[in-house]
Amino acid sequence: MTPSVLEVVLLVFVLTSALGAALLKDTLAAVMAFAAYSLGISIIWVLLQAPDVGLTEAAVGAGVMTILLLIALANTVRPSEDQLFERVRPRTVLAVGAFVLVMGATVPALPAVGATDSPVGSGEVTDYYLDNAYEETEVHNAVTAVLAAYRGFDTLGEAVVVFVAGVATLTVLRTEAFA
Amino acid sequence: MSGRDQAPLYVESPIIMTTVRVVAPFVLTFGLFIMLHGADSPGGGFQGGVIAGSVVMMTAFAFGIDATREWIDARAIVGLTSLGVLTFAGIGLGAMALDGAFLQYDVYAPYISHASKYGIELVELAIGGIVAGVVVGLFFVLSAGFGHADGGEEA
Repeated sequence: MTPSVLEVVLLVFVLTSALGAALLKDTLAAVMAFAAYSLGISIIWVLLQAPDVGLTEAAVGAGVMTILLLIALANTVRPSEDQLFERVRPRTVLAVGAFVLVMGATVPALPAVGATDSPVGSGEVTDYYLDNAYEETEVHNAVTAVLAAYRGFDTLGEAVVVFVAGVATLTVLRTEAFA
Repeated sequence: MSGRDQAPLYVESPIIMTTVRVVAPFVLTFGLFIMLHGADSPGGGFQGGVIAGSVVMMTAFAFGIDATREWIDARAIVGLTSLGVLTFAGIGLGAMALDGAFLQYDVYAPYISHASKYGIELVELAIGGIVAGVVVGLFFVLSAGFGHADGGEEA
């Protein structure tokens, strides 16, 4: 399968902004590169037909994370940098490069995008959800059916994790209200 | 209130204020739509909660963080978050009380029509409440600065 022009452009954009987020010396510039990275990834999720994930990435990664990081920056002192990029040690390049190689070596083993005979596309569990989700849960979005009904206990755990994060913040700051 | 000696974070701008005043109701509606419509289209509590929470951030950018903090009752944020967890767990445990499994929505069917659909939507709303509350709370905590909190003057 050859990637379309849009996919190539998006991949280049995401890789460039990821490198920018890692290498830019100025923290504000790095935060901006990180936001651009999140936005690019969220469009890739939509292209891969995962709009639920794309929506989360756009709202949390590109939106709220950027605002929270910017507020954190506004509360700290930002030293003015004279160089644009972080200095990179050869040892780090070697370690990260080796990691990328190992990860990249697993990519050919993955099924092609949209392949119908992949384990996810033809698995018994997937078929069960797609066949029975509407009758059993009365919701059309199979993702929601799995999230809130079949795997509802997991989702309760996730929601409580968010709650605990808030409580932990208050505990660390020794206050009882978000103010 | 703020003892910073740098340039102030908030600059009053009629353009931003007017834009936010017009756009905010639509964003809040969109957030609720994403939350409630997660049952039939992409979306759900996590995404919708963040979008609903961003309304408060927009307001803070337009009208100032301190003014927004005074406008919103601090107890409401904690209450919204706790209420979300209690609702979610309550629906799950309530099903067990009615001799079903945890979160088995159809045991509510004799009492509510379309129990499964409305149960799932209520769960999405609960998740949205948790997420919106925590997002707004983290925003307020961060924007207060770390020097503010240990004095206890605002708690």
